[in-house]
Amino acid sequence: MGQSYLDLDVRPILRDGGEPFSVIMAALAKLEPAQGIRLYATFKPIPLFAVMAEKGFSHAETELEGGEWEVLFTPAGTQAPPTSSSAQPTDAWPDPVVRLDSRDLDPPEPMVRILGAAENLKPGETLSALLRREPVFLFPHLEKRGFRWLGGFTSDGSTYELTVRAPI
Amino acid sequence: MGANLSKWTMSYFAVAIAWLILAELLMTMGFGFPYAAAEAPDTLVVVHIVCIGWLSMAMCGALFQFVPVLVAKPLFAEGWQIPALVLLTVGLVALLGGFMVLGGRLPAWLWLLPIAALFLVAGFGLVVVDLAITVWRARAPMGPAYFVVAGLCSLCATAGLGSAFACALAGQGGQALGTLLTSGIPLHAIAGLGGWLTLTAMGVSYRLLAMFMLSSDVDGRRIRTTLIAGSATIGLVVAGGLLVIAMETRIDVVLVSAGLLGLATLASYGRDILSLYHSRKRTKLELNTKMAAWGLSSLVAAVLLAVILAISRTFPAHLEAFAFLIAFGWLSGLVLAKLYKIVAFLTWLETYGPALGRIATPRVQDLVIERRAAKWFAAYFLSVWSGTVALLLDQPSMFRIAAFAMTVATLGIVRQLIRTRRLADVAGSLRPSGISAPHLLYASI
Repeated sequence: MGQSYLDLDVRPILRDGGEPFSVIMAALAKLEPAQGIRLYATFKPIPLFAVMAEKGFSHAETELEGGEWEVLFTPAGTQAPPTSSSAQPTDAWPDPVVRLDSRDLDPPEPMVRILGAAENLKPGETLSALLRREPVFLFPHLEKRGFRWLGGFTSDGSTYELTVRAPI
Repeated sequence: MGANLSKWTMSYFAVAIAWLILAELLMTMGFGFPYAAAEAPDTLVVVHIVCIGWLSMAMCGALFQFVPVLVAKPLFAEGWQIPALVLLTVGLVALLGGFMVLGGRLPAWLWLLPIAALFLVAGFGLVVVDLAITVWRARAPMGPAYFVVAGLCSLCATAGLGSAFACALAGQGGQALGTLLTSGIPLHAIAGLGGWLTLTAMGVSYRLLAMFMLSSDVDGRRIRTTLIAGSATIGLVVAGGLLVIAMETRIDVVLVSAGLLGLATLASYGRDILSLYHSRKRTKLELNTKMAAWGLSSLVAAVLLAVILAISRTFPAHLEAFAFLIAFGWLSGLVLAKLYKIVAFLTWLETYGPALGRIATPRVQDLVIERRAAKWFAAYFLSVWSGTVALLLDQPSMFRIAAFAMTVATLGIVRQLIRTRRLADVAGSLRPSGISAPHLLYASI
């Protein structure tokens, strides 16, 4: 069986001038035992390598076209999940209070449901949603309303996992 | 990341529809083929109104909205849309004027055709560069976006050949362009209808059909097979065709080989589309998907017709009927079907997007009354098929009646589009207060 990775694309956050660290730490907390992270960034995230090594992850990076990078963080050996909640920065994303599976809904119904659920989040709360496609029309609306989000396709490309966080 | 509404897509659609109705009226009046020869200037007027004014304009408007969605990246240059629309419109008017010069309907202003070519190349150039850079910057994985790229390459070839003809017709370019004009028309027509319009429509259909039927996307490798076969067909026609013209040998061998390769492309595409229909999770299909199937059936019918005509060695005599079925049954049918959905969706997103999740809003399907539109679509396809039969049977009067029926059906469909845009079909009980309809001709973003 091959190593499983959670895909994490922080390029949008970086392009918007944002700070992806909390998002990466939140993703780390969600990992299953022995699962790694496949990170996409707009630069080679050297400072992160040390942080991740401390948490028991080795890294292997590949340069993509246009100066972007794909980095595989693989848990070393078969040790227990590498993080404990006390190691998390205080602004790590909390667990979702709502989980939506919108994979079998007609477009644009997933967008309607996600915005509806997002509007009911309390400040700082998150929701997660599974979709069939990248919800490109949703992002401008999330942005206008001050929500932050994190999303990426699962490694088999069949499902897009989205986490949305309400403004604090 | 993310896609916004394209501000001017509706404007492109509106201009395109106006040209379509004009073309249908001209055919109803007996302007051009079958009342004039297929290569007569009057026929060229109608053909270019349909291919540039209607199909290309509608396609460009759709691509400005659709390519950013396909590659999940914003359009490279939003601000180029209106300049491109103006250049294309001026270029097309000049082109039609140029053809009327050739037909003796206007004074001998021979400069009109090269001027037209200049404007059209500039207009299409803006579209091609804008879309190609958008795809290139996104570094999208293999998929429908590359059909659009292949379509754009074909558009360049079509425009290049057309410009060469324009110069030759204006008496410039000497012997070489003269030879090209004599033998190169099939290259221009195949690159335009088969390359630019059909390859692009195929690419768009992969995603839109999968989206609206809740099907799994077609596997990237299979898409690649279809794409390579399609691009090779057009590449063979253009490059091979130019070569044999330069060598002054017969073009038939190239056209027959390309025909076989084209058949393989369509077989591969047909297999992909059938797998989309089979893997759909949506049991009850929406009107746009059903009508797209009628468009696809017209493509199948056109291919069968071509094969039968080729076997019976009567293809050259009935080329016009085949081209008519491709242009109006397949391409126009598909575009009208998809417009019906796209206009409703974009109008819904523009009107209710900002309020979603905050107040109760109508659904996209609340903006349309499919039952009412269905009869106009049925009338449209029936009249197109009758028109094709009329051409095959060499019955010009019957063709005019069919063209008149097409005009009425198109007006019926367009009326539904306008009602959708004006939110006229949203039931009063579903209307949130304080939200008004968007502008008819552009998106306020």
